[in-house]
Amino acid sequence: MTGDGFSIGEGGLGATLPLDEVQNLVVTLGKALRASQLYDENNPVYKRFVKALSDEFTALWSEMDEIALHVSEDTLTLDGEEVYSSATRSDSLAFLLYKDGLRVVQFEPGFERQVPRFLDVLNQARHAREDDDDLLTLLWEAELDCFQYRYVDLLAEGIDLPEVGLGGDPSEFGQVLEDARAEDDEVVSGEAAAEQPPATVSQDDFNPTLYALDASEMEELRRSVELERDRDVRGAVLDALFDRFEDGDAERRDEVFDILQGLLPAFMARGEISAAARVLKQMRSYETAQVVSESHQERITSLLDRLSDIETLSQLIEAIEVGTIDPDPRDLAAFLGFLRGDALGVLVRATFDTESLDLKRILGGAVETIARRDSDAVRRLLASPDPALSGAAARIIADQRIESAAGGLRDLLTSEHTDVRLAATEAVGALGVPTLLGNVGELLRDPDVDVRIAAARVLGEAGYRAAAPVFRDILSSRTIRNAERREKIAFFESYGRLGDAEAVDLLDKYLNGRGFLGRRESSDIRASSALGLGRIGTPEAMMALDRAHRDDDAVVRSAVTRALQMERRPEVPR
Amino acid sequence: MTGGDAITSGGGGMRVGGGSAGTASLQQHGKRLLANVHGAMRALKLYPLENEAVQHAISELQSTVEGILGRGEGLELRVVGEFFFLNDVRLRLDLSNFATFGNVGQALRRHDIGSLEVFQGVAREEWAPFLSLLARDPGEYPLPAFLARLSETPVRSIEPDASAEHGDDLEEEEVLEQAKRTYAQSVKLAKDVLGDVRLGRAVNARKVKRAVQGIVDQVLADEPSIITMTTLRDYDEYTFTHCVNVCIFSVVIGQRLGLERFDLYELGLGALLHDVGKMRIPHEVVAKPGGLTDDEWALIREHPTLGLLQLFQTGAYIDIPYRQMLMAYEHHMKVDGTGYPENRRERQPTLFSRIVMVADGFDAATSVRSYQHRPWGADQVLREMKENPKRGYDPLLVKALISATGVFPIGTLVILDSYELAVVSRTNPDPALLHLPIVKVISDEMGVPIADPVELDLSAAPPDGAHRSILKTTDPQKYGIRVADYLI
Repeated sequence: MTGDGFSIGEGGLGATLPLDEVQNLVVTLGKALRASQLYDENNPVYKRFVKALSDEFTALWSEMDEIALHVSEDTLTLDGEEVYSSATRSDSLAFLLYKDGLRVVQFEPGFERQVPRFLDVLNQARHAREDDDDLLTLLWEAELDCFQYRYVDLLAEGIDLPEVGLGGDPSEFGQVLEDARAEDDEVVSGEAAAEQPPATVSQDDFNPTLYALDASEMEELRRSVELERDRDVRGAVLDALFDRFEDGDAERRDEVFDILQGLLPAFMARGEISAAARVLKQMRSYETAQVVSESHQERITSLLDRLSDIETLSQLIEAIEVGTIDPDPRDLAAFLGFLRGDALGVLVRATFDTESLDLKRILGGAVETIARRDSDAVRRLLASPDPALSGAAARIIADQRIESAAGGLRDLLTSEHTDVRLAATEAVGALGVPTLLGNVGELLRDPDVDVRIAAARVLGEAGYRAAAPVFRDILSSRTIRNAERREKIAFFESYGRLGDAEAVDLLDKYLNGRGFLGRRESSDIRASSALGLGRIGTPEAMMALDRAHRDDDAVVRSAVTRALQMERRPEVPR
Repeated sequence: MTGGDAITSGGGGMRVGGGSAGTASLQQHGKRLLANVHGAMRALKLYPLENEAVQHAISELQSTVEGILGRGEGLELRVVGEFFFLNDVRLRLDLSNFATFGNVGQALRRHDIGSLEVFQGVAREEWAPFLSLLARDPGEYPLPAFLARLSETPVRSIEPDASAEHGDDLEEEEVLEQAKRTYAQSVKLAKDVLGDVRLGRAVNARKVKRAVQGIVDQVLADEPSIITMTTLRDYDEYTFTHCVNVCIFSVVIGQRLGLERFDLYELGLGALLHDVGKMRIPHEVVAKPGGLTDDEWALIREHPTLGLLQLFQTGAYIDIPYRQMLMAYEHHMKVDGTGYPENRRERQPTLFSRIVMVADGFDAATSVRSYQHRPWGADQVLREMKENPKRGYDPLLVKALISATGVFPIGTLVILDSYELAVVSRTNPDPALLHLPIVKVISDEMGVPIADPVELDLSAAPPDGAHRSILKTTDPQKYGIRVADYLI
């Protein structure tokens, strides 16, 4: 046994060794190991075994300074006495230790606190594949303070140790000294011609202050160590790859490109989205760069296309939703923002499907970014057979005022899907597309109330007088009387906005007139009419409102007050 | 140890792994103890005993000692070379304490004290007389004189002892044997790994890890022994020994910077693989004797980039070794960003890369290799690296290396002013005496070899009374001298 204060089996405890307790301990260790394979660390069964094992270790410290076990293929022995044996190797604790080279293991006081980590190491070793770290490497990395071991390094077999020789030819020694004396003489006689005399000691060599680190230098080095810990080494490697891609020949570029292509899915799988975004950003700049050859541009284009396709993005979104990765929202937004227009569909669909509000917001932001950059993609989305996507495209067009996509809305106005018609109608309103107002007019009789309301508002806002007869017709019919209040308001107000010549008479009649047996219209109709008159804003309309100013019906009175305060819009003839 | 022989023959020797109980806590206690001893000695040197600073320093020391004794394991402080052991735990040397360690070690060694045992019940009043004696001139017979003086004081619970020379020799042999094994295994590994890379075969990552872990352990356990191994220059194996030497010197520098064990491993791994890119350059260019053509130089200058790219081929993007990639990529980049490869983006080489650059530069310049038949002297190399900014080395890291190797590193062949020929065998552990190493005198002033070379501490009074100093360093290659043979 060699030094290091590691004296196993020399304790002289002999017959007093608590063999039974150590045997029990090893049995418990085996059970705890199995429990750690079956259960996660929060499981009560696992916790129970860890506690039992820790307690047994603690109990033994009153009897032993350390527990040193010799390891053979099938047994563990304490001072020559067997405390564990196993007939089979598949589940043998002894073999698990032995096969990677451990020959003696020693547990010391304090080990009871390191039991979970130790079990984890054994588990990793048990399940290690051929190329994985073995037990010795895992133990090294685990740095268990209270566990020592002796091992044979099976990887070091067959290595020859360096041999010591005679040191050199003694006859040369005299020559060395002779040369040295000769050089000295040259220096003395001022004949030293060599620019840099070989192997001559400098005066500075004897000034230790020139070599020793002073306090400020040590502090600077300490700071360097701290900085190194926070350093973005991944970013530095990526920058190196970009540098070499830019100045490399075709072969070098191929290799770097292959690496970057391999890195992207690796980054995404690990949730290192900022790194993926960095690569993506660089790739996008290379896609059109002069310095990059056509063939590389094609490869880059193909890669960027693949990143934006449904399979890739679905994988990413799924990983985020199930929590496999948890990227920083800003990094994710940046990454998604670099995607192709073709990614819009997937992103839009995901905004509908995800239940995470945060993710919904990030995806929405990415959709906006991409749409702003690529209106063609929005136009393509508008033509999607998926009503959710075409409707969403219409909303994007509305939000971002993408006028160039307006033409695609015409078909959507007649879609069989309510949401699509609604979105398209609102988009027409947002863009103010005169050529589509006639189509919107047809939606005043749409079966869906929201579509009808939207159509009425769009036409009113646009002052589209050509629709006035339709409004009149609807307002004169029984249909409007049965409508919801919001629809009545929308229709009356919008009709008021059109500036129709017959509007004041019709609305005044509804507000102030009495019907058969002096009966008035309903409060809703009268109030809506008041709002319509307010939108007309002519003196005649104001007079009609004044007449109802002191009406008994509070709802009507309130609407009249609001109507009188409405901002007058200049009439836009249509 | 039963079965030890069988094990030795099977696997190249039995090794010890793991930590010892309470190691971390003892480390803290030990570092504090040395700092307190140093502080109290300094205070006693500057002020009278009753001064508040002295009293405070002694109180601090007493409190630390009581803390250690309170653990129930006793207190034995041993000094071996430049290292201290507290109750068999080697205290880790780093930037924050290496000067303290050196000063306390020097004070003990002046009196031939190799260990101190402090007993339970030590009184506060015992420290001042003990430390004052340490500060006194040791005289002709250091330890006996010290003990005689000590017996006249009230000191009863502090017991100094001589250096356990015989035991140390034995230990040294074992340590050296272990260092040899680690070194040989690492060189073999480097050969295997780099050979695999050249042939496009999969690299055995486990072997690489084990080799680097071995080097880190060896540096932490006994730095001088593994540094000694770097003097084994083998021209035929240069590529592989160079990788291992760079790994060793890098870990040595890293240790001086106070890097943790795992960080040392990360650093060592990158250092071992720093030249992996050369395996993708035709062997006849890498090993070409004599000058290289411009095209060949251009090819050589590609090796950092090739190293970066090569490291992507290991591990299939699992656990991408970014730090190691940067060490391979940046180890010829100067601190100002020049050098090669050229940067198109702003870049400051990482600390680890700068460390590898220093280690690489030092080992390469002091070795015989294909395009350098006459190596520089190690002292010259260090001076050039430190003083010539055009070389682009981080001067503080060069100093950190010098703090480990001394001004005249182990293996330097020197001519003393007595015209005796000597080989530097150990660095002076006192940071103020980095220029005065311990040497082995291998020939007398007439050039007659000494059969059993004598070890001489150039900072201490020699037994024959004739003080020697280094006249000049010389090139062992020039005279066919293998310095390693005197050290290993």
